Amino acid sequence: MSMLAKLTWIELKLLLREPFAVIFTFVFPLVTLVVISGSFSIEDADADFRGAAPWDYYLASYIGVVIGAVGMIALPVHLAAYAERGILRRFRASSIPTWSVLVAQVIVGFLMMVIGSVVLVIASRLIYGADLPGQPLGALVGFMVGALAFLALGLLIAMITRNARAAQAIGMILFFPFFLLSGAGPPPDVMSSGMRSVSDVIPLTFAVRALQDPWIGEGQNGISLALLAAMAVIATAATFWIAGKKT
Amino acid sequence: MTSVIRVDHLHKKYGDFVAVDDVSFSVEAGEIFGILGPNGAGKTSTVECIQGLREPTGGAIRMLGLDAIRQRSQLRRRIGSQLQESALPDRIKVWEALDLFASVDQSGPDWTLLMDQWGLTDKKNAAFANLSGGQRQRLFVALALVNEPEVVFLDELTQGLDPAARRIAWDLIRAIRERGATVVLVTHYMEEAEALCDRIAIVNGGRVIASGTAQELIATSGTGVQVLFTTDAADISWLDDIDGVDSVTRDHSRVDVRGSGPVLALVASELVAHGIVPADLRAVQPSLEDIYFNLIGSDRKDEGA
Repeated sequence: MSMLAKLTWIELKLLLREPFAVIFTFVFPLVTLVVISGSFSIEDADADFRGAAPWDYYLASYIGVVIGAVGMIALPVHLAAYAERGILRRFRASSIPTWSVLVAQVIVGFLMMVIGSVVLVIASRLIYGADLPGQPLGALVGFMVGALAFLALGLLIAMITRNARAAQAIGMILFFPFFLLSGAGPPPDVMSSGMRSVSDVIPLTFAVRALQDPWIGEGQNGISLALLAAMAVIATAATFWIAGKKT
Repeated sequence: MTSVIRVDHLHKKYGDFVAVDDVSFSVEAGEIFGILGPNGAGKTSTVECIQGLREPTGGAIRMLGLDAIRQRSQLRRRIGSQLQESALPDRIKVWEALDLFASVDQSGPDWTLLMDQWGLTDKKNAAFANLSGGQRQRLFVALALVNEPEVVFLDELTQGLDPAARRIAWDLIRAIRERGATVVLVTHYMEEAEALCDRIAIVNGGRVIASGTAQELIATSGTGVQVLFTTDAADISWLDDIDGVDSVTRDHSRVDVRGSGPVLALVASELVAHGIVPADLRAVQPSLEDIYFNLIGSDRKDEGA
């Protein structure tokens, strides 16, 4: 096995041994999705949930939550600890360059997002009979672009803070408002206009819409995809610029 | 002998802070070379520049016939290092770390033998966070050796170890040399440098203030020899006339002669000639520690002046 493949495999095992990351990525979204989907009935559909059943609406939203949890919390906290504790330096001295650690983290983070999402889809189908995406290809594109944007954000948070506690603080400050206002909390129709205007500009909303629109059969959301792609490019460039400067 | 490392006028600044002012030395093939100095002397910055982990602000470094700065990627795989204040992921297992570090080398060196040699086989499946200080150091050394390096850098390897674990670490360092590698050892323990190193550079304030073998450092330091014995003889004033004797002090029967050169032999023969044959005649050589504190101390005074 090549070094990068080995590093990625070890990183995957390490992240799965991290209880904090596992709880935040797999358990938290699952429990919250099951509770909130069960809080509404089919009569609540139509306007409140963009015309979809509550569980279909929330399933796409909570896949967004998984993306956000990995990108804003699990990945940056893990990687910032590497920078803080001299692990990146230790690796670099033994010809394991920092970029290879970043690539391994992105692959592992993506796998966690996929696993977390599959868990949600299975649970929601079993419990509420939720639908699979109406436009699967569109949903897949939405998922990929949203995932990459938040993985890039995770790398950037880690490289800016280089300290696990600081990364956790920033991650939490971003995560909870994003979580509540991106569609995983109250449906947009019951939000006040102030809340809705905040919801309209937070990045996790773009990730949710890029996935939810094709999921409930409303086609691709071009603006969200473009904004997410821009976020991915800018965050990646900034990450490598900072990583290069600190070497 | 050929030089494995040649450092010429190395200079390293972090912003306005000068960590390494002007450091030059060379390391010969197969030796254990010690870089010794107090905290903040610039030792770690020096070896990190040599290893290509930091970019020097001035000077030249050649290692194994290559430019250590411009050709660092070629050199990385030929050196092994144990870094100060570095760690591995908490939950990585011993075998996983060895396997990962071995995978850097295309030839895929066999790390199981190394794991055995460094007494880590029992801890194969233990997580890094659960290893003791000594076990961690053994793992770091094993990781530094996994690519069969020609030069090995050990930075404060024994810091935080208890005296017994430190002795074991010393044997490990000697074993690295036995394998044919050149060792650069950074330490602030004088005792360690004296026990292990063939040659030593003492660094203070970003400069090399003395270098050589421990014996050379002692000889050139000007710190003299102390000759001690006890006698009941009433008159020993003639001791002052012996060549090389600087001072004689007496406390009841205890006599303390300070001097330089072959003063022990001269004092001994004169004592015998005067019919004094003390059973406890002995010379106390200054230790490297005395020299070190002498050097560091005078350096500090110079700075203050």
